[in-house]
Amino acid sequence: MNQPASGSGPNGTPMISMNNVQKHFGALHVLKDIQFEVPAGQVVVVLGPSGSGKSTLCRVINRLEPIDSGEIRVDGKILPVEGKGLAMLRADVGMVFQSFNLFAHKSVLDNVALGPVKVRKMNKNAANDLAVGLLERVGIAEQKDKLPAQLSGGQQQRVAIARALAMKPKVMLFDEPTSALDPEMVQEVLDVMTSLAKEGMTMLCVTHEMGFARHAASRVVFMSDGEIVEDSTPDAFFKSPKSNRAKDFLSKILTH
Amino acid sequence: MNFDFLSNPDYDILGAFWVTVQLTLLAAAGSMIWGTILAAMRVSPVPLMRGFGTAYVNIFRNTPLTLILIAMSVVLSNKLGLVLASKSSPTFIKDNNFRLAVLGLVIYTSTFVCESIRSGINTVPAGQAEAARAIGLRFSQVLWIVILPQALRSVVAPLASVLIALTKNTTVASAIGVAEASLLMSTMVENESDALLGVFSIFALGFVVLTLPTGLLLGWVANKATVKR
Amino acid sequence: MKLRKSAIALLSVVLLAQTLSACGKKDSKGNSLADKPNKLTVGIKFDQPGLGLKAPDGTFKGFDVDVAKYIAKELGVKEGDITFKESKSAERENLIEKGEVDYIVATYSITDVRKEKVAFAGPYFVAHQDLLVKSSNTKITGPESLTGNMKLCSVKGSTPAQKIKDKYSKAVQLQEYGTYSDCVDALLSGAVDAVTTDDVILAGYAAQHPGDLKVIGKGFSDEHYGVGLKKTDTKGKTAINAAITKMIGDGSWEAALQKNVGPSGYKIPAKPAVTE
Repeated sequence: MNQPASGSGPNGTPMISMNNVQKHFGALHVLKDIQFEVPAGQVVVVLGPSGSGKSTLCRVINRLEPIDSGEIRVDGKILPVEGKGLAMLRADVGMVFQSFNLFAHKSVLDNVALGPVKVRKMNKNAANDLAVGLLERVGIAEQKDKLPAQLSGGQQQRVAIARALAMKPKVMLFDEPTSALDPEMVQEVLDVMTSLAKEGMTMLCVTHEMGFARHAASRVVFMSDGEIVEDSTPDAFFKSPKSNRAKDFLSKILTH
Repeated sequence: MNFDFLSNPDYDILGAFWVTVQLTLLAAAGSMIWGTILAAMRVSPVPLMRGFGTAYVNIFRNTPLTLILIAMSVVLSNKLGLVLASKSSPTFIKDNNFRLAVLGLVIYTSTFVCESIRSGINTVPAGQAEAARAIGLRFSQVLWIVILPQALRSVVAPLASVLIALTKNTTVASAIGVAEASLLMSTMVENESDALLGVFSIFALGFVVLTLPTGLLLGWVANKATVKR
Repeated sequence: MKLRKSAIALLSVVLLAQTLSACGKKDSKGNSLADKPNKLTVGIKFDQPGLGLKAPDGTFKGFDVDVAKYIAKELGVKEGDITFKESKSAERENLIEKGEVDYIVATYSITDVRKEKVAFAGPYFVAHQDLLVKSSNTKITGPESLTGNMKLCSVKGSTPAQKIKDKYSKAVQLQEYGTYSDCVDALLSGAVDAVTTDDVILAGYAAQHPGDLKVIGKGFSDEHYGVGLKKTDTKGKTAINAAITKMIGDGSWEAALQKNVGPSGYKIPAKPAVTE
């Protein structure tokens, strides 16, 4: 599972690559000259204090946030600016949000089947079969006819993962997927994510779950103040962080 | 109060209110469609569409309805020759005026529908659109499949107010001679000046009978339709 | 508590104001117009060229206005002491009954129904329903010549157009607008073929567009314009009748007509006999 801390994947083309990426929110410089790659098959966990830019790093990859300058490639292709090309690229990049963002007016099943039908032009029955299969995989097939609001947070997040998987994505982005959950529901979501990682899905996870980072990640990236400060294996990062900022961060987290 | 006029066969009060109902329903349907399209324009990423939507709403929402309707008839139809019925038809004026009135009411009312829907769009959490974009839906799909269905449910109540206002606004169509309730009322006020109170009461009652159930029904629908989050 | 107090205070103010206005409204209640009033409030139309029209500068012009002024003069009231008040058709009886105007000179046809509520002096003019058409129009010669593909315009809520449909031409198409000006615009642009109401009103519009519009001049009903006043004021009615008779007799009547509607080519009709 563990691969080199950086460099290309087996086929040579990184799944995600960022070159000199700059991003401001007004006066705030949130991404400072980011240089970063995720090879295919890797699970990269992004850690960092709040406000470090890790969430933005995740959101610029499918252009939910536009960047100021630099270059982002997904599976070798430059991110299109707007329009149909961008939509097609997003279809290949699965995304899971902190606040689930399930379509509130649609049933669980429709939430999962919507993308395949509307974007992949799959026929309705096939899409429903696919959706039921994915819902079984994340363990909530019996809830398929309910509305999102009738589910617990953990269940909603699992539906959201199934919704992203239904697009058969090349890479999955997780933007703090467990931060909005009650503690007892965190594990059910992490279990799904761990099993995905084991199946070889390329993943970029922004999270505070150190356990997940230790056990499932092939690489840990530590961000602070809009910069990537450390980029190493989980073992190396947790046992011997190089920078003072990472040491400081870890000391705060691990003492609690 | 004197209600003798009720037995006068010259006064087809029900028929006049039927015209009011027809005006209301047709204009409501048209305003709903055009208003939704306008709302879509106003939130679209294309600056030209946004500009058109904004300009349209600001112009027609702030123009008195009477002026719009009279302009429909006097300027658009009489001077510029926009004709919505066959000129040789023996009921040309009646049909043309009715259609002009519906068109004028749609032009005006759609701005209120647009703004109601736009306020509804603002109540849909931003995450809904992000999630929709993230699975690869295009802007129009995000809008029609995810945002508008939720936005519409949250604006049933304000739209009910627009519909009630529209019902009453149809009276302005009498300015171009559409034979709806208030035109008959003008005639009756002219002829029955000794029974004014009765005439006004009957017409006021007629409008309450039309609008009260609308309000109650849509209030109930509004409760049912709310999206649970 | 405080709220209730202010509510009561507000209510008393409203009630007091109403009482006061009720007191102030008619100190001359029961007085006759014949008893040398100091001031007069006269109801006229504000929107009929040639008859009663409020000019943009706030002055009033028209035949009705001249008649109203002549009567005031005969009642001993100076022109500066007359207040003109707009009296729309549907409001006329009410204005008189409530005492908001002293008399009305506003194309006010004398009818039996109206006589149940108000008294009329006059008539000071006999108008006839007529048709206004483009000067170039030779097809329309009278109400009978209106056919199914022709369009007739009148104001909403008025009876003249209905009368044509009922009596002369069932097939003619009726366009109704809020004002006669809209009808005249439609006539000028060719959207309608004729406008109908009383000839003297039509003459006013024809005078505004000399050369473009003409009144057919084939009157087909008599409308006796009277001066409306309080039903009980018999002395006042006599005084106004005397004023009208004098106006007709001394040439002022004809001069006023000539000045206000003459330019349209409208033929000054025969002098009416005061019969009320």
